[in-house]
Amino acid sequence: MDIFNIYLPVAGIEFNVLLLLLIGFCVGVLAGFFGVGGGWIVTPALNIFGFPMAFAIGTDLSNIFGQSIGAVKKHHKMGNIDWKLGLISIVASVVGLEIGSQLVMALEKAGDIGSIVRGCYLFLMFGLGVFMFYDYFKLNPKKIKPSENKPDEEISKTNKTKKKSIAQKLHKINLPPMISFPVSGVESVSLWIVLFVFLFTGFLSGFLGVGGGFIRMPALVYLIGVPTVIGIGTDLMSVLFAGAYGCFTYALKGRVEFLAAFILLIGSSIGVQIGATAVKYIKGYGIRLLFAIMIICAGISIALEQVFKATNISHYELSSKLVLMGTAVMMTVIIITNLITESRKEKKRKVETE
Amino acid sequence: MAINKIITLLIFCFVISLSYNNLYASSETGGKEQTALNLKIETKDLTGVNLWIAELYNNDRVLYAIVVTLVMATLGSIMAFGTDLVLRYFGMNVSKISHRE
Repeated sequence: MDIFNIYLPVAGIEFNVLLLLLIGFCVGVLAGFFGVGGGWIVTPALNIFGFPMAFAIGTDLSNIFGQSIGAVKKHHKMGNIDWKLGLISIVASVVGLEIGSQLVMALEKAGDIGSIVRGCYLFLMFGLGVFMFYDYFKLNPKKIKPSENKPDEEISKTNKTKKKSIAQKLHKINLPPMISFPVSGVESVSLWIVLFVFLFTGFLSGFLGVGGGFIRMPALVYLIGVPTVIGIGTDLMSVLFAGAYGCFTYALKGRVEFLAAFILLIGSSIGVQIGATAVKYIKGYGIRLLFAIMIICAGISIALEQVFKATNISHYELSSKLVLMGTAVMMTVIIITNLITESRKEKKRKVETE
Repeated sequence: MAINKIITLLIFCFVISLSYNNLYASSETGGKEQTALNLKIETKDLTGVNLWIAELYNNDRVLYAIVVTLVMATLGSIMAFGTDLVLRYFGMNVSKISHRE
């Protein structure tokens, strides 16, 4: 495998090209499918295999920017982006992010904030994961109707009614100015509620130091009430902005390994197109179930990392990284398998109807 | 239309970050102490693309950042277009979808 090693001049290390392509491909599939940046996978993955942390972050952000362009283009083409909602989300998220980072600064002066931030991170990931699991099992069409002959549209309507219960409650609050999002099918909602939701998700990103894709996507679906696929597309649009800024600013500080980012992007660009195409073939509740599994696994990985920090036993650190990488690879395999199976079924259906 | 808006906004963000970072760079590199902004790569043993990257990195960091950002954007777009064609070739439907919950 040494023949695939290349020298990366900026980071000053040797790295395996195939490994870079594989990491890029896996994170691309997940990014296109879930509408997240995937920074929480690439950064630790690069770091595990020898990248200094600052270079891992900078290179990852450059990759996020490049892959998001393809993903946003693709989701735009498939009609999955609500531009109006996306622009509001960017503005409010930036303000929230600043408030979150200011709170971190204030807490830092007061003492060690690491444990508070990590605790919030864990609570958020497990809480969100459990909620999405609950949502899936509550809304699973097989549980709602044992009869297989019920039309798909009817199931969809039932699910929609139940799924949007929180969103519908929020939509009922009449606090002018009211705004509508026709692309997302939101007829009327108070602008203040939309701003507050994104202010809050932005605050969490700033406080936890993450891009926020995994927080914003469920917020769009469960709080604003947009369909899952539009939540994914619209979230990717915000990720694109964050990635563009991150790529430029980290490159300026000399913390982007150009060659690695380039190779990583080749893998992730292919992956992101496959992931985004898979969204078309897999139903919304299926996507949410996979998302729930993924963030719970990521939560387990963070919990193991915390145990390592408390006990200093290196097995926990290794396990944490393995869980993270394993989850990414496993999810990629599941998504691609589903894509192939569902597209074959659709082809068969088409042939039968013709 | 929406794509144009987003490109304009992206350019605006770059201009803002460029001004901010230039300000930061000039205040940081004034001294002799080596910081993140004036780090240099040893180019003695480098050749080809590696040498070009290292020289770009050493000589003009702003240009390095612009090149990295533009190359990432261009490569992302080209790869997206290429993969789209390949997926279409294999019979995948890559057009507008009807949403299913």
